[in-house]
Amino acid sequence: MDPLNRRNFLGAGLILGASTLLGKETSQKIVTESHEFVPPTIAFPEKKPLKVISDRPPLLESPRDIFTRAITPNDQFFVRWHMPDIPTYIDLNEFRLQVQGAVETPLSLSVDDLKSKFEPVEITSVLQCGGNSRKYYAATGQATHGVQWGHGAMGCAIWKGVRLKDILNRAGVKGSARFVGVNGLEKPAVDETPKFFREMEIDEALSGEIIVAYSMNGEDLPYLNGFPLRLVIPGHFSDSWVKMLSEITVMDQYRKSFFMDVAYTVPDNDCECVISGSDFEYKRKPIAVMKVKSVIGYPTPNTIIKKGSRVKVTGVAFDQGKGIKEVMISVDGGKSWSPTALEKDYGKFAYRPWTFVWEPKAKGEYTIMVRAINRIGNIQPLPEDIGWNAGGYQYNAVDSVNVKIV
Amino acid sequence: MKIKLLIAGLLFSTSALFAQVAKPIEMPYIDYPIEKGDHDEVLQQYCLICHSFGYVLNQGKKSRPYWTGTVSKMVNEFKAPIPKEDQQIIINYLVKHYGYESASGHR
Repeated sequence: MDPLNRRNFLGAGLILGASTLLGKETSQKIVTESHEFVPPTIAFPEKKPLKVISDRPPLLESPRDIFTRAITPNDQFFVRWHMPDIPTYIDLNEFRLQVQGAVETPLSLSVDDLKSKFEPVEITSVLQCGGNSRKYYAATGQATHGVQWGHGAMGCAIWKGVRLKDILNRAGVKGSARFVGVNGLEKPAVDETPKFFREMEIDEALSGEIIVAYSMNGEDLPYLNGFPLRLVIPGHFSDSWVKMLSEITVMDQYRKSFFMDVAYTVPDNDCECVISGSDFEYKRKPIAVMKVKSVIGYPTPNTIIKKGSRVKVTGVAFDQGKGIKEVMISVDGGKSWSPTALEKDYGKFAYRPWTFVWEPKAKGEYTIMVRAINRIGNIQPLPEDIGWNAGGYQYNAVDSVNVKIV
Repeated sequence: MKIKLLIAGLLFSTSALFAQVAKPIEMPYIDYPIEKGDHDEVLQQYCLICHSFGYVLNQGKKSRPYWTGTVSKMVNEFKAPIPKEDQQIIINYLVKHYGYESASGHR
């Protein structure tokens, strides 16, 4: 643990201790004087201390320096739930994944069934919240609705499990089937609140790329990342990567739902954007495949570096699965660009780590920027050029970090 | 609704991080501080049914139309059972403490 994290760690302990021991009155003391509220950094079950945007539902953001690693450790992997009521205990003897609806044979599968009766498959894939990096929209355009995440609502893990296709084929999909709905065990506090229910077309469900995962980086899924099962849809934003997956429902007809038709949608046009500041009044479609993106893991913002140091600038890049062709870097705020070295390839859906050795020769303030292009020519936009949407989804503009050379 | 807090276990014994969910986990409870007054008790009553005040504090300062839109989303989409007059109290509170007056825009 680096010194900064240790300080946050202890600080969080003190804050929590005070508010618990002395009661609610002391809670005001947690407020920082800065304009932007800084959420506490606290360890949740199976997690190292992470930035806790909310405890209920839990929203935990990973720190930027996690992007120095191609594989995100489970205990630092971000957390995002939608509903406040999540079971705090799952008995694997009783837990069953139900496969139901327009199938010949409905199934009720235990985690053991999945592990022993199906072919295991493994894939390394990025998991990114559709609203990841949302707060950066406000830097160049109008602020957008939703949780104001930095870059830390994404990670990359090795997922192991069973093909959704194999499960559906075991149940026998009826000829009339057109959609597959998925949902997990999280529940709203008010009965009328829409359930977190996601749908995909039957062809996508049968494509073979989607996995019902029971393992993450060689371990059981952390509870907060969806123990015991979650859907993995490589190349796609995580809105349909349902956690604590409990029901797979094959359907003849699309079921209209809030989380498909209202939330997680973007303008239904080529740029998936509208004029900055427009409201939600446009034809919309669900977000789906991810856009090419790269972020800087080191240095982190406001790092102070001694002149003449050999700085190994490090980060990750990824796209929807076409593959990263090149990551360019600028250390002069975008005036000139150089190629970075692409490091080990973990697969087309994984982070592609990159590095660049920089030896700053003069003192002063520097802006480091990175820009990725994929194999089909998609390139990250500059922040001032990114298409805007009211929900603040799919942010993928060029990342930048300011450092000081002394 | 308050969830018991397990400070010592969670914060000071990282080695005790559960390898798997073999027993019930205990989620930390965080008392996100919001400003007192202007009927903050109405927010305590309704907002906390579904989410912590972390959601509010995370938004930063926002305009009246923004907060109005957010409250109507809670009512119309998420079906929060908030009577009309209390919706207005909540909006006014949010604009005063976590926002500003303006005719339009999302900021």
